[in-house]
Amino acid sequence: MKPLKIAMMSMTHGHTRKYYQVLKENPKLDWVAVSTANETVKEIFRNSVEGIPCYDSDEAMLDAHPEIEAVVLASENSEHIRQMRLCAARGIHVLSMKVPTFDMDEYDEMIRLMEDAGLVCQIELEMHYNPVIARMKQLVADGRIGKINAFNATNITLSPVWAFPWQGVPEKSYGKRVPLKEGDPRFRGGALCDHPHIFDMIRHMTGSEFDQVYAQVAPNIRPDLEEEDMLSVIGRMKDGTVFSLDPSWSKMENRLPVPGPGWEVFPKRMEVNITLHGDKGTVMADCFGPNVYHSGLPNDRYTVQYTYFDEWVGLIDEFVDNIRGGKTPLINLRWHRETVRVMNACYESIATGRPVKL
Amino acid sequence: MQKNLDFLLEKYAVDTPITLIDRDTATVKGRTLPLLSHRWQRRFVELRNLTQGGTLSGVSVMRVARILPRGTDLYRALYRELDLCRFILGREITAIMAVDAPGVLNVMATAEDGVVCTLELAATLAEGETPKDKHEIIAAHGIACDVVVDAQLQQDSIYVFGQENDTYTDVDFELFGLPAEDIAVVRAAFSLARDEDFDARVAEDKQLTALVDLARRSVQSGEREVL
Repeated sequence: MKPLKIAMMSMTHGHTRKYYQVLKENPKLDWVAVSTANETVKEIFRNSVEGIPCYDSDEAMLDAHPEIEAVVLASENSEHIRQMRLCAARGIHVLSMKVPTFDMDEYDEMIRLMEDAGLVCQIELEMHYNPVIARMKQLVADGRIGKINAFNATNITLSPVWAFPWQGVPEKSYGKRVPLKEGDPRFRGGALCDHPHIFDMIRHMTGSEFDQVYAQVAPNIRPDLEEEDMLSVIGRMKDGTVFSLDPSWSKMENRLPVPGPGWEVFPKRMEVNITLHGDKGTVMADCFGPNVYHSGLPNDRYTVQYTYFDEWVGLIDEFVDNIRGGKTPLINLRWHRETVRVMNACYESIATGRPVKL
Repeated sequence: MQKNLDFLLEKYAVDTPITLIDRDTATVKGRTLPLLSHRWQRRFVELRNLTQGGTLSGVSVMRVARILPRGTDLYRALYRELDLCRFILGREITAIMAVDAPGVLNVMATAEDGVVCTLELAATLAEGETPKDKHEIIAAHGIACDVVVDAQLQQDSIYVFGQENDTYTDVDFELFGLPAEDIAVVRAAFSLARDEDFDARVAEDKQLTALVDLARRSVQSGEREVL
């Protein structure tokens, strides 16, 4: 198979560095270039990767490299629509970060742009390429716990805003400045915007869609943030499955400008745990465990050292296969639209204080 | 496992054919070579990174415990655990004191700079039971371990409770479905074919065989034996 000529744009997203190794090592890819959004990310990239040309604008990169077939939009959410228009005009396939946009009109424009141009647009929901999730899907499909009655999950992390400042800016994360609720000084765009995975996974695991959501924010554990960092969501799917979801930034962090050792204050910086209760039993899963543990440098704090973080290998394999084979991605724009709509419904519930029927 | 190995060779365009003989050895270019597959288990790679990458400093002791099913050759188990000490610490072992009793073997190994490794091995589990083990490095600055604090045994990533209870630990999406130790065998063989570091592996095997012989001698003599 001819290697896919791929590029990356912006390099401001927290997942940017996850691509470095797979883009260099996967023989199905030819990593052509990157464009960087600012001098800070340019310097970080140049200190991390050698031999890949780096441009100051998306247009300059695409003009210099008309051979580019696909790009990873490693950018803040507010940039996605502009970059998707650019790619659609030039016939370039897209791997979008986990939230293409929260503006549903923009979202529908993205669908039109990609479909009219006959392009693949895959959404980066990397949990589908996690081996623990693969095992859970298999256990559910095999009927080991029967019909699912409850899906309870955490997708909790430290807050990335100190290293990736756009995530702390409502206009760049949520797309516009919308107050959480009357009398609350905070705005949409925080932890909820960072954590779509469990909203997506419940749809896959149950095969059902959301019927009702109720969400509530708690007092921020980072009072200086202008977005929510702690929230809880409960509700029901159309098949009767109830759920309880925690998409918070509940793991406290040190405020490092570049992620690295010592980022976490709480020992485990990120957790996706899922418990499924069915009419024949229960499955409990830790998608990022077990690991190894230490109390060494830089802060002498007990810390989880992760042993598995390879979701991007499977994700990129599927992306290449979709483009070369003319296939529709598992997580495509149309599928993912409902997940984004439900996340918006959570914000609506927070604003009204009432459950939202979907 | 051979099928999984062939998949990786094809995916990453490695042309060197390699055939697994068993969990410990493979044939490549007419040579039968040791795999040392434990070195490809991710928990040991991370412990090595923590120990040698500067997270820990002033290493003093490495403590190892491994419990296996009855009938397991404990000297074969010692081969693996001694190599893990060498691999994780980045040090060579130069002396061994060992004592044994039915189904158990306790060893104290000393590295070239005085770092001490204690290895507590037993073959007491029922047939088919998963091995239980723990690897801990204690340093002046920090401790690293593959068992979480306040626990005796390793955790699994999935627990199933129903008519039949089960546990699973899946660690590799490319090789999904294989147990962690089988994945390490495949990754070790793939690495051997890709890197062709044949002589280095033979040298490691020779050194480990000498250390295991040293342990046997110590058990016989009742004395600390020096390489």
